Amino acid sequence: MKLHYLLVISLICAVAALIGPVSAAEADVTVTSSSLDPSVLMKGDTGTLTVTIKNNGADPVVIRSARLYNDGVVATSDPYPAVGELGAGNNKTFTFTVRADGGEGTFYPKFVVDFRDGGTLRYQVPVLVENTPLSASVIGKPDAFAQGRKADITILVGNPRPNAASGVQVVPQGTGFTVTPTGGFIGALAPDGSSTVRFNLTPTAETDVAFQVIWRNGINTHTADLTLPITFSEDKRQADPVVTNVEVTPIAGGYRIVGDVMNAGLESARSVLVTTGAPAAPTDPFRVYVVGTLDPDDISSFEVTFRADGGAKEIPVVVEYRDDDGNRYTATTMVEVGGVAATPLEESDGGIPPLGVVVIMLAAVGVFGAIYYSWRRK
Amino acid sequence: MEAGFLRVLLNPGRFFEARMQDEPSLKVPALIALVIGIIGAVSAVLAANLIIAMLPAEAQAFGVIGVIFAAVFGVIGGVLTWIAFGIVFYLISMIFKGKGSFKRTLEFTGYGFLPQVFGGIIGAFFTYLIISRITIPSAMSPEQMVEFSENLATMLVADPLAQISGIVGILFMIWSANIWIFGMKYARNLSTRDAALTVGIPVGLYILYTLTTLAGWL
Repeated sequence: MKLHYLLVISLICAVAALIGPVSAAEADVTVTSSSLDPSVLMKGDTGTLTVTIKNNGADPVVIRSARLYNDGVVATSDPYPAVGELGAGNNKTFTFTVRADGGEGTFYPKFVVDFRDGGTLRYQVPVLVENTPLSASVIGKPDAFAQGRKADITILVGNPRPNAASGVQVVPQGTGFTVTPTGGFIGALAPDGSSTVRFNLTPTAETDVAFQVIWRNGINTHTADLTLPITFSEDKRQADPVVTNVEVTPIAGGYRIVGDVMNAGLESARSVLVTTGAPAAPTDPFRVYVVGTLDPDDISSFEVTFRADGGAKEIPVVVEYRDDDGNRYTATTMVEVGGVAATPLEESDGGIPPLGVVVIMLAAVGVFGAIYYSWRRK
Repeated sequence: MEAGFLRVLLNPGRFFEARMQDEPSLKVPALIALVIGIIGAVSAVLAANLIIAMLPAEAQAFGVIGVIFAAVFGVIGGVLTWIAFGIVFYLISMIFKGKGSFKRTLEFTGYGFLPQVFGGIIGAFFTYLIISRITIPSAMSPEQMVEFSENLATMLVADPLAQISGIVGILFMIWSANIWIFGMKYARNLSTRDAALTVGIPVGLYILYTLTTLAGWL
């Protein structure tokens, strides 16, 4: 009878020795953390999913495989076919490369660990996919664009996404303009953060300027375009030289115009020159009258001399000036000359022509010869 | 007249000496003054035509009247100039105790104007050249016409041809002065020095005035 009891006890101990430790290890392995880089994917983005498990039991467990099952995101990396033993109290990290092939939303791909001695560990990893791009807007531009005139453009880039964007830059693209700088770098933009970039843009023709916002979400590069149409129009603030108080006077060989030029605009007119245009031909001494800088509401007198065909009734008085960027502008004012003066048709340099000298010499010889003769014959 | 105009121009001393033998006669001097006046009238008419060209068609009739006035005043101007010079010479010669009738003074002064005939012809020719080189603007308002006339005067003075005409006129005036010296010497019984002063003072002032007018380009 004693032998019978001993055999039963031994059998129980043997079974306990074989079965008892495995059952305890399955229950003690847990997922301690999971992370996704970038934390929020956009559709088509590739990210890195990391899952960490820990053996909380007193005995080691043997893990046969670990894999990730698709749900909204696709694991593009291989599963772990033979992991091995995880010691008591140890951690193990599994990393998967995933791609967001589904739409927007929160997806739960399954992380599954198979143990050698039977049993599995299943864990649903949350993955957020959101397609909201960075926003860009023009917060500063001139009232009007003009050909060749430098314009300050300020672009505001904001990040409405729930995760940070890195490597943010703004690059103007298109033709028909020059821009400085050729690109603006912002760097990292925190969620709900914003930053501005300034450009000096000089259009040479009417065009559309595309400000392309480029950023990275993890390793994925994204772009968003902001189009700014450039159409030329009159600048409400630009300098406006006005010619007034004009007085036309005929002079030998041409005309003289004296008058005032006033800047009726709101910006300074620089390097102001006054001259006459066709059909008038500027002549000395005042072919061109240099006024210099005319600030708003400033006035300056000018004087120009020119020659014109007698049939010309109106002569254009041309005011040339530059803006602060050096762009050249002209303003033309027609001045009546035909109604107030006569013009010698032939060109004259103001001196006595050679034939006149001959006439004077002959007359002088004749007169003084006669006088000399009259006193000799007295 | 037996001495001829050439003798007045080239040998005025002998001419006036011979004339002193006859009674004073103003016929020939008046003829000379008239010719000078006519030549002056030609210049005046040329200038008047310039103004008429500015007038609108309906005012052209007034322009014709203007031309007639210009011609009449041109002729009268020649005679008045002759008389004015005669009076001036007569008065200045009184300072040098000159003796002789005013009629004789006027007669010899008229002969002295003979070179002015040539000077007047040359002056009229230059006036024609100047005016032919000017383009007249079309019909204007009365205000513009006034302004035009002022501008025209300024421009004519500054024209090189007008300057040549002025210098030539001075030369012929010097020639006339030379004749007048001989004329006053006999007409007012003056010494050569006093006769030269009698003529030189007004003629010198006249030449000075002319040069001042032309000084804009000199």
